[in-house]
Amino acid sequence: MQPIIEVTDLTYMYRSGSGKNVLALNGVTMQVYRGEILAITGQNGSGKSTLARHFNALLTPKSGTVIVDGLSVADKKNTAIIRRSVGMVFQNPDNQLVSSVVEEDIAFGPENLGLPQAEIVDRVDWALESLNLGAYRHRSPNSLSEGQKQLVAIAGVLAMKPQCIILDEPTAHLDPKGRCEVLENVLRLNRDEGITTILLTHFMNEVVHCDRMIVMDQGQIKMTGTPRDLFKLADQIKALGLDLPPASQLAHGLKLKGLALPGNILTLEELVNSLCQLP
Amino acid sequence: MELTKNITLGVYLPGKSFIHRLDPRTKIIASGIIISLLLIIRSYPAYGVVFLFVAAAVLIAGIPAGYAFSGFKPMLPVLIFMWIFQLFLYSSSDAKTLFSWWIFSATDAGFHMGALVTLRVIFLFGVTTLLTLTTSMVSLTDGLESLLSPLKAIGLPTQELVMTMVIALRFVLILAEELDKIIKAQMARGVAFDRGNFIQKTKKIFPVFLPLFISAFKRAEELIIAMEARSYTGGRHRTKMKTLHLGRVDLEAGLIMIAFTALIIYLILITVPPI
Repeated sequence: MQPIIEVTDLTYMYRSGSGKNVLALNGVTMQVYRGEILAITGQNGSGKSTLARHFNALLTPKSGTVIVDGLSVADKKNTAIIRRSVGMVFQNPDNQLVSSVVEEDIAFGPENLGLPQAEIVDRVDWALESLNLGAYRHRSPNSLSEGQKQLVAIAGVLAMKPQCIILDEPTAHLDPKGRCEVLENVLRLNRDEGITTILLTHFMNEVVHCDRMIVMDQGQIKMTGTPRDLFKLADQIKALGLDLPPASQLAHGLKLKGLALPGNILTLEELVNSLCQLP
Repeated sequence: MELTKNITLGVYLPGKSFIHRLDPRTKIIASGIIISLLLIIRSYPAYGVVFLFVAAAVLIAGIPAGYAFSGFKPMLPVLIFMWIFQLFLYSSSDAKTLFSWWIFSATDAGFHMGALVTLRVIFLFGVTTLLTLTTSMVSLTDGLESLLSPLKAIGLPTQELVMTMVIALRFVLILAEELDKIIKAQMARGVAFDRGNFIQKTKKIFPVFLPLFISAFKRAEELIIAMEARSYTGGRHRTKMKTLHLGRVDLEAGLIMIAFTALIIYLILITVPPI
């Protein structure tokens, strides 16, 4: 597979409020492959947001390189093209919606691209349709639930037809229902539209659905692999301050108690199947 | 929401009336004309015509009369105060004294001046309320952007200004809710906002606004990053999803406005002002 984003030996330092230099990223090397859905996880302050902000040129590397679709992020001339191909959704939907009308907010991105009017209308219709928001198009985002607001934010990015969408903890502000709604839609967009998706999250039951995962700690990548391979290493995951997905956690506990379960259980369904096959 | 109760200015009542269907630019210009006329009217017959005109507009727009009047309620003390102020303080050389009290004397000139000023404020408020009741904020800003666009030639960043307004409108409610949350949080920790004299009450307001400002700045910072991530680079290369079109209703409204303006100017010219 061909990478859409290639990060090589990226280091980023910033000056904290008390004047100390903080090393937010320390020699990060990684790739994001076309069409995949990649989870980046880690504790607060592990550097995952800082890393993701390099992907669409919100930050530029202090040292090392970030190449997006063949273009270097460090070159200011590429910024506009990179932002067009890599969209970003943030944590708090209230702080990223611009307009008091849903459809106008979704049109904001395409309007910024200077597209012709008919094309903007087509894209807004398509984005509303893709996320089943048609019924809300004339409503104010203030009248929607938090989960729906976040879907509007995703639609706003989708309408720019990016090749890749970064979601920076999109479900952290949501209730369980909203979380489910957003995750389902993100997975569907990846599957149906083939949009490369990077999901930054704390929730391990979201990571389970991703093709690959990266675990970060103190500005470094500590683990890379498929969720199935990594969640086998329960002790390492816990040492990095993370939890296991609920089903894996339970399976791990049962194994310690002496049940002969396989080590790579991720979902409740798999756990039930394995338990039924026990002699 | 307690903070927005009883405020009709800035509220939008959706509808399909003649006035609702007008292009926002037509409505803004018409309101502008009426407001400028109000500033020069000094006669009661002319105010009578303005009253009929505005009342007709309210009826056509289908705004319930009770709702239209409720907006004036919070203004009532100010209006009365203003009228009394003019009654005692305005005077001219040939004014007749109506009655005197201590060092104040009320003259007929003051009486009329008070009445005219009060009427002016009532109608100014009425016309702007009518505009916002029948025009959504989004089309209002679209109209404003279109009307201001000639000023781009002299270097005024009209698109950026209008974008600022659009965002401000979106955050009014969010910040109002936040303010409510802060007030409740402080009440939960024992602050009694309704007790104490005026100065004590005012003092209690400061610790409420400080957290509100801090949170507003934080929100602004996040919003800037989100807008940048969506390729916003200012107004220059932007296009618009919706463009405004003048229709038949706008032509009709234009003709009505010309007739109305002519009538008012005629009335101003033929009637002798009371002062």
